[in-house]
Amino acid sequence: MSSRKKVLLKVIILGDSGVGKTSLMNQFVNKKFSNQYKATIGADFLTKEVIVDDRIVTMQIWDTAGQERFQSLGVAFYRGADCCVLVFDVTAPNTFKSLESWRDEFLIQASPRDPDNFPFVILGNKVDLDNRAVSAKRAQQWCQSKNDIPYFETSAKEAVNVELAFQTIARNALAQETEAELYNEFPDQIKLNANDNGRNRDGDNCAC
Amino acid sequence: MGSVSELSQSNEYLSFRSSIPLRKIVVDEDGSKAWRVFDSGPKSVSCPLICLPPVSGTADIFFQQVLGLASRGVRVIAAEPPPYWNMKEWCDGFKRLIDYLELDKVHVFGASLGGFIAQKFAELTSNCPRVASLILCNTFTDTSVFEYHDSAALFWLLPSLVLKRMLMGNFTNDKVDKRVAESIDFMVERLESLNQAELASRLTLNCTPCYIQPQSLVHLPITVMDVWDESALSSRVREDLYKSYPHAKLAHLKSGGNFPYLSRSDEVNLHLLIHLRQFDGTDLSASYLSLHKMPPQSTISQPEEGTVSYFNQREKYVKIS
Repeated sequence: MSSRKKVLLKVIILGDSGVGKTSLMNQFVNKKFSNQYKATIGADFLTKEVIVDDRIVTMQIWDTAGQERFQSLGVAFYRGADCCVLVFDVTAPNTFKSLESWRDEFLIQASPRDPDNFPFVILGNKVDLDNRAVSAKRAQQWCQSKNDIPYFETSAKEAVNVELAFQTIARNALAQETEAELYNEFPDQIKLNANDNGRNRDGDNCAC
Repeated sequence: MGSVSELSQSNEYLSFRSSIPLRKIVVDEDGSKAWRVFDSGPKSVSCPLICLPPVSGTADIFFQQVLGLASRGVRVIAAEPPPYWNMKEWCDGFKRLIDYLELDKVHVFGASLGGFIAQKFAELTSNCPRVASLILCNTFTDTSVFEYHDSAALFWLLPSLVLKRMLMGNFTNDKVDKRVAESIDFMVERLESLNQAELASRLTLNCTPCYIQPQSLVHLPITVMDVWDESALSSRVREDLYKSYPHAKLAHLKSGGNFPYLSRSDEVNLHLLIHLRQFDGTDLSASYLSLHKMPPQSTISQPEEGTVSYFNQREKYVKIS
C-alpha cells in the first residue's frame, strides 16, 4: 500500500429528522451549535482534516435530510462510503426503532463489498436533555446484536463525546478505506497494449 | 485511432447529439473563428452554467452534465473557443460570446485549462463582474506547474501530430477502472478531431507564464472539485488551489482520473447541483426550478410526474434505436 498517499474518507450520516445530524456535524467541523432547528433540504457535506494514528486524513462528511428516508438519493451519494453513522435521539424511542431500517437502507443503496463487516457507528444524541426515553443499556444491546457496532452517547449542544465519536468514525473509516485500497491493487482487466512507460507519476506535466 | 469509443456510441451521447444542436457563433471580426456551443435548458434563465473544456476537450465532453442537469431545469451551455493565442484575446472573445447570448452573469464550470481561464476571466472582469460563481475542476492557479514555459512560444509552428503526442502522455490506460478507461478513449477521440491551430493555441495559453491573483476573487462563491487518484493532478497543485481560495467548498472525489465529468458524471452532477443550489430563488439562479429538492436520481432518465424536463420532453420524439 502506498502509505503516505493522502486519504479521503467518505462518511455518511443517516437517521430520522430532528435527531441532530446536522448539529453533530456542525459541532464537529465548526465547533458551533444553534438551538434553532432548520430542516436540512437535500444532501450537503463538509470537509475536515483530522489526524488518525499520526496520519492526516480528510473526512468528507455527508449530512442528509431525515425526511428523505424512502427517497433514494441516488448511488452517487452513497458510492465509496467508508463509514456510516446512524443517529437517534435518546428522548424519542421511535428514532431508535428506525435505526434498523436506516441500516438496511444504507446496505442496499451502498452495497458495500463486505456488508457484514462494513463500519457503522451509532450515536445516541441529546443526552443533555432530561426526558430520556431510550436507556444506554437498550441501545448497547442492539449494537452488540449487530456485530458489535460502536455506540456513543453524545450531545451536539454541549459537545459531549462528539470529538471522541468522530475519532472512532475516522479510524474505522480509515481501516475500511485501506482494505478497499488493497482490493483495488488487483487490476480488474488485463490490457494487451504496449503501455511500457507506465503512468507518469505527477500527471501535471502536461495539459489535459 | 480508427475505432469508435464506447461513450460516443452510447445512447446518452447519441440522444444528446440528436436533440441539442451544435451552434457556431462568430463573435470576432475574423469570420472564420467561431465558438462551438451547446445551449440546453430554458432560455428564460439568464444566469446559466457554462462549461469550459480542457486543452484536449471539445464542447460535447460535457454531455452528461447537460443531460443530467437539464432534467433539474438548469440551463447548461457547453462552450468551446476558437483559437485564441493569448489570455486577453480569449477573455474578450468570451465576453462577446456571453453578450451575444444576452447573459448578464454566468456560473462557470471549468476543467483544467478551462478552469484556469475561468479564474482569469473572473479576475479581469472583477470591476464589472460577469461571473456569478466558479466550479473549478482539476485545475491550477499558475501555468508554471506544466514546466513548458520555454517552449510555449514555439507551439504555433509545431505540427499537430507533435502536439497530440505531447498530450497523449496523460492518457495512460493502465490500472484504471472501466469508466475511467472509457472516458480516456472518448477524450482521445476528441483530441484527434482538433486541428493544429486549435491545439497549438490552447497549449500556448496553457503553458505561457501566467498566474491568477486569487485576492480579487474572494467575494465569489467557489467550489473546488478534484480527484484524488494518482492519474490526476499532483497533491501539491491541488493544495495550492485550496490555499488560494480558503473560503471555497471542497468537493473531493476519490477516483475518476483526469476527466471526472465523463467518468464520474453522477458524482460531478451532484456537486454541481449542491453548488448551484445556493442561488435558488435569486437573480443568479441557473435553474427555473428549486434545486433544493432532491428527486430520486434514477439512472434511466424517466421524467417524474410533476417535474418538467426539457430534455426528456424532446427526447420522446428524437429517440434513437
